[in-house]
Amino acid sequence: MPSVSSVEEASAALAAAHAEGRRLRIGADLTTDGLDHILEHDPGDLTCTVEAGVRLSELQAVLAAAGQRLSLDPPGDPTIGALLARNVSGPLRHRFGAPRDLVLGVTLVLGDGTIANAGGKVVKNVAGYDLARLVCGSEGRLALIARASFRLHPLPKATQTLVVETDDVAGAAASLLRSQVQPSALDVLHPGRVVVLVEGSQRAVDAQMTTTRGLVGGDVGDAAVWAESRAWQEEALGRIHFSPGDLADVLAGLGRAVVRPAAGVAYTVERADEAGRPPGQALVDRIAAELDPRGVLAA
Amino acid sequence: MTLSRTFVDELRAVLGREHVVTEPEQLRVYECDGLTGHRAVPELVVLPDSTGDVQAVLRACTREGVPFVARGAGTGLSGGATPIAGGVVVSLARMNRILEVDLESQRMVVEPGVANLDVTRAVAADGFFYAPDPSSQQVCTIGGNVAENSGGAHCLKYGFTTHHVTGLTFVLPDGEVLELGGKALDPDGPDLLGIVVGSEGTLGIVTRITLRVVRTPQTIRTLLAGFPTMDAAGAAVSGIVAAGVMPSAIEMMDRLTLEAAERAVAPGYPANAGAVLLVELDGVVEQVEDDAAEVERICAESGAFEIRAATSDADRALLWKGRKSAFAAMGRVATDYYVQDGVVPRTRLPEVLRRIEELSQQHGLLVGNVFHAGDGNLHPLVLYDSGAGETERARELAEAILDACMDVGGSLTGEHGVGMDKACSMPRMFSERDLRAFERLRRAFDPVGICNPGKVIPTPRLCGEVPGPYRAHALERIGVAERL
Repeated sequence: MPSVSSVEEASAALAAAHAEGRRLRIGADLTTDGLDHILEHDPGDLTCTVEAGVRLSELQAVLAAAGQRLSLDPPGDPTIGALLARNVSGPLRHRFGAPRDLVLGVTLVLGDGTIANAGGKVVKNVAGYDLARLVCGSEGRLALIARASFRLHPLPKATQTLVVETDDVAGAAASLLRSQVQPSALDVLHPGRVVVLVEGSQRAVDAQMTTTRGLVGGDVGDAAVWAESRAWQEEALGRIHFSPGDLADVLAGLGRAVVRPAAGVAYTVERADEAGRPPGQALVDRIAAELDPRGVLAA
Repeated sequence: MTLSRTFVDELRAVLGREHVVTEPEQLRVYECDGLTGHRAVPELVVLPDSTGDVQAVLRACTREGVPFVARGAGTGLSGGATPIAGGVVVSLARMNRILEVDLESQRMVVEPGVANLDVTRAVAADGFFYAPDPSSQQVCTIGGNVAENSGGAHCLKYGFTTHHVTGLTFVLPDGEVLELGGKALDPDGPDLLGIVVGSEGTLGIVTRITLRVVRTPQTIRTLLAGFPTMDAAGAAVSGIVAAGVMPSAIEMMDRLTLEAAERAVAPGYPANAGAVLLVELDGVVEQVEDDAAEVERICAESGAFEIRAATSDADRALLWKGRKSAFAAMGRVATDYYVQDGVVPRTRLPEVLRRIEELSQQHGLLVGNVFHAGDGNLHPLVLYDSGAGETERARELAEAILDACMDVGGSLTGEHGVGMDKACSMPRMFSERDLRAFERLRRAFDPVGICNPGKVIPTPRLCGEVPGPYRAHALERIGVAERL
């Protein structure tokens, strides 16, 4: 599979496909694996700019050397381009959000080869349309993502995991969400377990563990449970959305699932299809028609 | 442009006569927003009361090719709600209902005309708050916040409006109604919520918003530190960020703004300080205590000669008093001022502040600095006297300051928006092809070009015009709102 190693090469490849009216599916007909440079990391600014082919693990290794991280922990080890195109997150979603919440700017290559920047590399910026967020979840259909800038966080000084085994996971989760503890992750491994990650200074972690156990019981757990959560998520065949307040009802109808209760998202082991075309699909089609008039990136 | 009689009659029939404004003296109320140097009298103002009303208005506008501009409280600072001459202003003032409070889901559903602070007021007794807190929060509306992706002092930790909107009812310029998102996060497909929030009213009109509300923290601690120089305070900011402390706000004031605040409201800030930092920490008690100790150590090492701390609401309000009054206080120092909204990487703050001081001296005009230091969002206030013919020089200085922000890889605007004010500056930050991509995106929503035209993306017609001098906004004069 051909791989591009510069934004200009990506532009040329898409421009050629556009001229010939040819499809070029990202990840299938063309990869950005060759766009593999970490372009900037400014520890003092807690920001970085990376090319789309960089693996998340490579980026995290570089950031960790400076005591920082990109607070995203999706299953597997996606490239930065795939991370955004799928807007995929992991347990840290609870506190830090999805890729769309941490991306600051992007360089895109549109279907006709146009190179376009949107957003910036500073943590606060409202100039221009937020194309960096728009392409999150776009599955490569709207544009090729060539590089992206992110907001970073310091690595926590201390962390601890709490595992709560209970018949009433919905009650335990609701009680934690209603409290003033501020966990970094809160997953329901349905049925039967709530897992909580607390991070911060050692004193704050100890205090939060005490408060949390006072609320819902449970025992100090192995951090390996987070790998288990990600593995379940990766194996899941379905993803459903729900109002967080409906957690108990939703769980009653679910088989094995990883549930992020604050987000209202459940990854179900069994297939669980939501209603057909999502709302706004016609609008998405019009956006695609403008950004990629000849459908080079169409599925 | 004169609107056809049938168009006006049709809107009267849908909305009721009293909700279609045509009298010239009433129309003049809508001639500008917080960017008071730009004015245009609309042909018509309509006050819809429902999504269906908005849909009917936009359908009629599309059919007749009439441009329209949505308007909330009119507190925006970039002219996003400046009317189009001959066009329609769609005021969302009547749509000000809180439709649902669902604390089990930590969500609220509101109409666009609800004031920002009223969201927090509705849930405060239950221990929740709405995090984005622009300084005009007493009056600015959620609809306007969605349009501008508003921030505020505490967005350093909590994020911007885009991080707190989970669902929207959105009317496209042709009247099509879309339900985007809901109470759950991360809907499938491209992030349409993300593109609509912050689009400055140029893609359609939002008629219903689902918001995330946040549990109030266990404790809040405010620290105030006096420094001999801006450089020293800037170094402390860099130190705090680099140390991995995550305050909810870091605000800075320079000598000029401190002196003005002292004369206006006598907050009793450290005497003779060249700069004051306000740092707010919130969260779990032990974390806040540890972080506060760290912040105090960094401030002391950076040269702070006085540090105060407060945790009670009353004591914290006292520390914030000077900061909150700073903009109003500047009115005592100068007849006119122009506010910039540039952003720089946080590590470049000291050098950019020095550059602003140089530019200030070169142009012979004073610049006050009071800003969100934690995220590098500068609000330099260029002081001038339009009566003394200083307007043009002030404009040049403001532009030069923006260039200084661009030179270090920053942004034109951190929270005020592009609107009319900075549309012509967009080429400093974006290339021609970037801007063409923005135009293509916009066309997918508004193929006819009637939705808040002339904003955000520069046009030759717009960029030939020179803005008038700043005049105090009505809400500032009565002390309800301030500018930042």
